[in-house]
Amino acid sequence: MKDVLNSPEIARLTSMNEMQPYNHPTRAMYIGAPGKVGYLRLGFEIDSQGKSILRDHERIAPLIVQKELYCDEGMPEMPVVYILSSGGPNVDGDRYEQDIEMRAGSFGHVTTGAATKIAEMKDNFSAMYQSITLEEDSYLEFMPEHTIPCTDARFASYTDIVCHPTASLFYSEIFTSGRKHRDNEMYKYDILSVTCDARRPDGHRLFREKFVIEPKNSDIRNLGIMGKYDIFANVIVLTPPDKAKEIYDNVEAGFFNDGELAVGITRLPNDAGLLLKVLGMETGPVKETVRKFGSTVRQAVKGRPLLPDFPWR
Amino acid sequence: MISSGIISTMRLLEMSDSQFPVGNFSFSNGLETASYEKKVHDMDSLRQYVQAASIQSAFSDGIASLHAYRAAAVGDYEAIRRADEEVILCKMNDEARQMMTRMGKKMAELTVHIMDGCRLMDRFLEDIKAGNIAGTYPVAQAIAMHHAGISEEDMFTSQQFGVVNMILGAALRCVRVSHYDTQKIAYDMAPVIASDYEKVKDMTYDDMRAFVPGMDIMASLHEKGNMRMFMN
Repeated sequence: MKDVLNSPEIARLTSMNEMQPYNHPTRAMYIGAPGKVGYLRLGFEIDSQGKSILRDHERIAPLIVQKELYCDEGMPEMPVVYILSSGGPNVDGDRYEQDIEMRAGSFGHVTTGAATKIAEMKDNFSAMYQSITLEEDSYLEFMPEHTIPCTDARFASYTDIVCHPTASLFYSEIFTSGRKHRDNEMYKYDILSVTCDARRPDGHRLFREKFVIEPKNSDIRNLGIMGKYDIFANVIVLTPPDKAKEIYDNVEAGFFNDGELAVGITRLPNDAGLLLKVLGMETGPVKETVRKFGSTVRQAVKGRPLLPDFPWR
Repeated sequence: MISSGIISTMRLLEMSDSQFPVGNFSFSNGLETASYEKKVHDMDSLRQYVQAASIQSAFSDGIASLHAYRAAAVGDYEAIRRADEEVILCKMNDEARQMMTRMGKKMAELTVHIMDGCRLMDRFLEDIKAGNIAGTYPVAQAIAMHHAGISEEDMFTSQQFGVVNMILGAALRCVRVSHYDTQKIAYDMAPVIASDYEKVKDMTYDDMRAFVPGMDIMASLHEKGNMRMFMN
């Protein structure tokens, strides 16, 4: 089993400059205690009948997956995997790693069973490293539920992506300002540090997006930052240039719902694909926008739609 | 005895002047859309926009240009190339990348024309023309200003002034504000830029970041739209 706690990837995360003000030993359960270090590896591939399946996986609780489901009505052959956390919210000193391997020609949809809460913290922070590898002609939709950073929460994530030029990735993240409708808990967290670094299998670098949000040390309501909005979605799409053009041309950017929703799209460096940003007042419309964009991407890549989410989600 | 301080200050002023022909006046950093969408409509909203752009620049281009400046100081061309690559890798907005490379090439051409013996810039320009590098403006500024005897702090200041001045110059053409308003904003930005320098001066490429989704969305609307008073 992978030694997540002592891996160089986790070491890189915990040594990031912006996290040092929060890098102290935890007074409660120690860093590395059972249940505080989660690992997940998912390997998708095409089986002998030509079906895309979750061929193998490894897991260390609190990260859990069960077998893949074929519950996507828009694309019944799509294996859907729900990542669950048996430990509840992320707490002080949690360390997670998730590795997803999309082998040649495979496709899959990975999501979470519920929103990820980043709990209130006092001593340390929660960190997650992710590695996503897409081989030739593979396709991954990584579309987790939203992340909710509570008061004094600290969270750092680093995602390495290796994407073959013929493969496509839809990678979305949605961050709320906090538990908005619970005592107006908005932008009371300490820090979110999110990095995504993408390259080709030959090592050629594509882009590196990093954002660090520190609401207590910045003017988060600046109109160039969040302005009046409370929800932020960031969607990275890696896909060949012809598909990127088709997707770009089919996405309408602008202000919608009387200005309650703002959508922007641009082209990533090095012809890597596209980047969509969504700002909104509530989670629902932002999730719908991300999913609608996901449908545009799936249509361009697989010729199939992504239908609206289940009503209970 | 000739004052070297006067020479370097004179060169700093020349290269920071909006008349310096690198095309600064052609860009608005998304302000044209922000004005059209009535997000920026007065002095207060303009000030916010300028502050957001300044933060974005300091923590991305600013870090890379400081590394490029230090590389120029020791004649390390490979480290200059690395800085140039990092600027592009971290520049998510398409029109912003175009702005960076157009102004970078202009800066390189001008430097080669007006300065004698700047061999690093000769090579930088050759590589731009050969398509070997992107040739970004912050890195070209670092090479040129180091050669001109301008200090690292002054280079950073000039770079940040350029971002502020670009938006304020554009604002006079598309936002209902006066010269008095824009100059007040510029004046008030000085301590902010000084503080940002202290924060970024020891940062590495791993620290390069940007979180200005509001600005990003304005820039994307400009990219997809028909407004073309400015190139971004």
